[in-house]
Amino acid sequence: MTDLKLIGGEDTAFLPDARPSLAQRLLFSNEFGLLLLIGLAIAIFSVSLPSFTSTFSLFTMGRQIGIDTMIGLAMMTVIVTGGLDLSVGAIGVCSAMFFGWMLQSAGLPVALAIPLAIAFGAGLGFINGVTIVRTGVHSFIITLASMSIFFGVMIFLSKAEAFNSLPPAVLGFGKLRIGTLVSSLLALSLATSVALSILYRFTSGGRRMLAAGANPRAAEISGVRTGRVFIACHMLAGGLAALAGLMVTARTGAAVPAMAGHLGQDWLLPAFLAPVLGGTLLSGGRVAVFGTLLGAALVNIITSGLLQMRVGEFWIQAFLGMLLLAAVLADRARHTLLRRKGMI
Amino acid sequence: MSGALLLQVSHVSKSFPGVRALTDVSMTLHAGSIHALLGENGAGKSTLIKIITGLHHPDSGDVMVNGEVRRFANPRQAAAAGIGVVHQERNLVTRFSVGENIMLERLGRHALSSIDYGAIHTEASKWLRLLDLDVDPRLPVSRLSVAQMQLVEIGKALSLQSRVLLLDEPTASLTQNETRVLFAVLRKLAQDGVAICFVSHKLEEVFEICDTVTVLRDGRNACDSQPLKGLVRGDVVKMMIGREEQIARRAPRPRTDVAPYLELTDFASSAGHTDINLTVRPGEIVGLYGLVGAGRSELAKAILGMSRKTGGELRIAGRAVNISSPADALHQHGIGYVSEDRKQEGLILLHSVLGNAGITVWRKLANTLGLLRDRSVIDHTGPVLKKLEVKTPSMHQVIGNLSGGNQQKVSVAKWIAAGVKLLIIDEPSVGIDIKTKAYLHDLIHELAEQGTAILLITSDMPEMVDVADRIVVMSGFRIRGEVENDRNYDRISRAIMSHIHDSAAA
Amino acid sequence: MGGHSLTRIFDNDWIGPALVSAVAIAVISFFQPSFLTPFNIFVLLSAISVNMLVALGQLVIIAVGQMNLALGSIGGLVAICFAAMMELWGFPPVLALAGGFLIGILAGMAGGFVIARTGITAFIITLAGLQIFKGINLGITKAQPFYGVPQSVKDFGNTSMFGPIPWLVLPMIIVSVAVWYLFARLRIGRHILAIGGNRSAAELSGIDVNSTVIWAHGLSGLLAAAAGMMLVARLQLGHPTIGDDWLISSFAAPVIGGAVLSGGHVSVPGTFFGVVIIAIITQALVLFAIDPFVVQIVLGGLILWAVGINRLREARVAKALGHST
Repeated sequence: MTDLKLIGGEDTAFLPDARPSLAQRLLFSNEFGLLLLIGLAIAIFSVSLPSFTSTFSLFTMGRQIGIDTMIGLAMMTVIVTGGLDLSVGAIGVCSAMFFGWMLQSAGLPVALAIPLAIAFGAGLGFINGVTIVRTGVHSFIITLASMSIFFGVMIFLSKAEAFNSLPPAVLGFGKLRIGTLVSSLLALSLATSVALSILYRFTSGGRRMLAAGANPRAAEISGVRTGRVFIACHMLAGGLAALAGLMVTARTGAAVPAMAGHLGQDWLLPAFLAPVLGGTLLSGGRVAVFGTLLGAALVNIITSGLLQMRVGEFWIQAFLGMLLLAAVLADRARHTLLRRKGMI
Repeated sequence: MSGALLLQVSHVSKSFPGVRALTDVSMTLHAGSIHALLGENGAGKSTLIKIITGLHHPDSGDVMVNGEVRRFANPRQAAAAGIGVVHQERNLVTRFSVGENIMLERLGRHALSSIDYGAIHTEASKWLRLLDLDVDPRLPVSRLSVAQMQLVEIGKALSLQSRVLLLDEPTASLTQNETRVLFAVLRKLAQDGVAICFVSHKLEEVFEICDTVTVLRDGRNACDSQPLKGLVRGDVVKMMIGREEQIARRAPRPRTDVAPYLELTDFASSAGHTDINLTVRPGEIVGLYGLVGAGRSELAKAILGMSRKTGGELRIAGRAVNISSPADALHQHGIGYVSEDRKQEGLILLHSVLGNAGITVWRKLANTLGLLRDRSVIDHTGPVLKKLEVKTPSMHQVIGNLSGGNQQKVSVAKWIAAGVKLLIIDEPSVGIDIKTKAYLHDLIHELAEQGTAILLITSDMPEMVDVADRIVVMSGFRIRGEVENDRNYDRISRAIMSHIHDSAAA
Repeated sequence: MGGHSLTRIFDNDWIGPALVSAVAIAVISFFQPSFLTPFNIFVLLSAISVNMLVALGQLVIIAVGQMNLALGSIGGLVAICFAAMMELWGFPPVLALAGGFLIGILAGMAGGFVIARTGITAFIITLAGLQIFKGINLGITKAQPFYGVPQSVKDFGNTSMFGPIPWLVLPMIIVSVAVWYLFARLRIGRHILAIGGNRSAAELSGIDVNSTVIWAHGLSGLLAAAAGMMLVARLQLGHPTIGDDWLISSFAAPVIGGAVLSGGHVSVPGTFFGVVIIAIITQALVLFAIDPFVVQIVLGGLILWAVGINRLREARVAKALGHST
């Protein structure tokens, strides 16, 4: 696409000669780096742990990657706005509990309960979005409050009791395999990733989200209704968080109030780790959908490798924290390097 | 007259990604002298000041203080070497008192020192007195007027015992009276042996107070520390823009009598505008002139619906309408706005040329499913970018890497691509080179010829005289008068100034 | 004068929360007279003392315009280290106390260092810190508490100075006054507020922004450490879950107290009454035998309410200023 390269004035000399070749860009991309690391991790663990590449091990790993990817994507859709959503975990649990209630207490069919649960999550996201846009208060403090409220209301209504006699179809889906290795949950996340890629790359709505996130004032003046766009981002996040909640329910076969820890806080780390590893810009305006998938994959491969090597599971939490730190530091260093080379 | 050599900039060059900001620039400042640093927007004045104060580092060349080569790592080191600076942006902590702001980095000797507010405020009031600024040093800065804040910043720079004082457009927001006070202070300081570097756009002020001058053009010296004596206004302007001031380069255009596209009657806004009466007809270029703070950009934003209409009427093509947001303005009424603040409001620097040029047409080009193909956006915006001679390696180049001129072309192109009927252009030549500027002027004329209504906001008087058909003068969020443009620079600038002065006197 | 009335507006952060506290106490004690029994007052004051230090730990970071998610995990780590030093190594309490403070300061400064040096948002760095410190905590304890807390420490956390006033109130008062003095009168405190209020102005004035930010995080770690060790004294054991539930309330109290979240303005007395309100409501729920999880809902609601009030007030101040000039 060099049809616009005009050699007419002397000041063309100030421009970088051409944009880096496709190969160069791939080589320096986050995704390529992650693939390398994933390959390296798999190589190391499969040599030192014979059981690491067993069908069962790969299947369970894939299932967890599917769930963590969905959690990461939920956060990513809000990071796009330059904000964040601390309440993804709370929304996920609330939606899963609502799902459990619909099936167990209200006796709704699964096919109806799934879309309703996702819509419920999007509704909670809508509440976040409207509050943030209307008050102009930073999303951090609003979602901090809403995570407390959502979770509190859920516990109050459910009396902290799980829904554990769900229709067998729910658990059946969680156990479903495509081929011998690929978990249905992983496939679902892959499909969602493809859908989100299309959204951001090929739709006017997705582009407006990116534009509004990168520079809200410029986008607003260019005719983008940034308020509505931000609300849509939060609804998307809520819907994806609900989907992640349903996936956890499908894996365990029960909707449990504690499935994401106190206030849903346990989801915060995977929610940020995957997009940040993947190369999503925290200040907004740039996404890495497949990077998020690869980020979640790397985290889970290393985690389950270390667990199988009998590294205490408590230390793994500290390790993941350091991984997050390393990821943001590496991203900063890569940025500086590329800038110096004039590649971005 | 000229005392000891205090500061010397010699052969400094500096590049940023995609832009060569300074090439081989030199300047010398002597004790007791008030030195003018001139140049058009984007000529490199701010970059030079930032290099002197250690915010940027030169790629080559030296900054010498008292004959010694210095490389300041940060403004703190520059201040310690006696270089004080007042930046264009307000740099005060508004919740703190005036005195505490002046003494901010000298509140105590070490981190855990207790602050003696009595002593702080006594010390601060010394500097306030020097500036004839009658405010209580205990007052929070948020209570001051913009002009008072400006003076507090100057007091802050002075209080550092600066031997060299750099002032970046200090009079931009001052009234004549305040400017006079400031000049008296500057003269007194010069007598005491301070070297002052004065950046201003107002040549009258430069000739009033300065004795030497350095002019930058396109990041190079058009003149290096030359005595101002013997030069006349025309000489300086010629150095700044590389040619004689253009007077009547274009013939005045005949008035059109078609019905106005935009018509404001007794318009008032929540931003503070009152009694605004303004019309812009298709094919007409209406200039909106005023000093910083006159409310021009705010009026543009009020038209776009970014502040509420509180009175009067806004008519588009004869129909009274309420515009609630820029999206409304663009999609319902065909109004576009090229912002003066390209980085914050004009462009999305993180995104590609394509992403910026196409933002206004996504909605139109998307199919019913909301799907949008690059191809159709390129088909739509490509011809406009090509026509505007935007120089970019590809449509996918990140726009932050283009030169200022090319960025500005893209920020205009997106509105042309959207086919707007009214284009509000705010300070079109900020930070762009002379050639692009001339090109943009031609483009504005061409757009008008094709029937676009144009509202041009600029503080650049030659630009105004060269481009506009008639000039509406604004100050204090009101319209003060109107001047028919016959391209006679002297007559028109006098007429405009008298409108502004009358309103100041009233 | 105008100047004085304005200073009053800014200083008035605590009046609203103080009134709310008073009314709440009056209403609750009317319906539930046992609310003002010496025992209940003792319990209430103990909770207030610990929570005030937690809130001040967050307040310092809010002042500089950032946030600290790692506050609870630092407090928790220090708590179990404090108990472990006494149980495993037989350290006398004073030495263990010093060790705990040291750990808290270092943990805080480490986070501050990374934030200041890289310019990466504090949120993500302190989220990583949260995981790291919590992981170390669990790695050391294997999720089991340390019980070997000396009697003197237990007594400090569970006996009264006089009447219904617990000893725990003492460190709370000292620290509150110190933090108030810091922000009102000490150079470092004013610089923290200056950075929060207008970072580029602070930078151009020659304030060493990086080291000020690092010290602010160090101070935040110190306050978290103090709160963690007070909880060990109160609970009589070093429990690995200490600090897990600090996040919401550490933001709620300063925000109720009128702190501006973007930095540059905080109120220590306001924060105190914020802590008091939260403690009263928590206690009331217990006394009226309401599901304790309702506290979560109330805390979230309080944050939203306070944020709304603060914005209204800011708008009013801005308007008043607009008219006066």
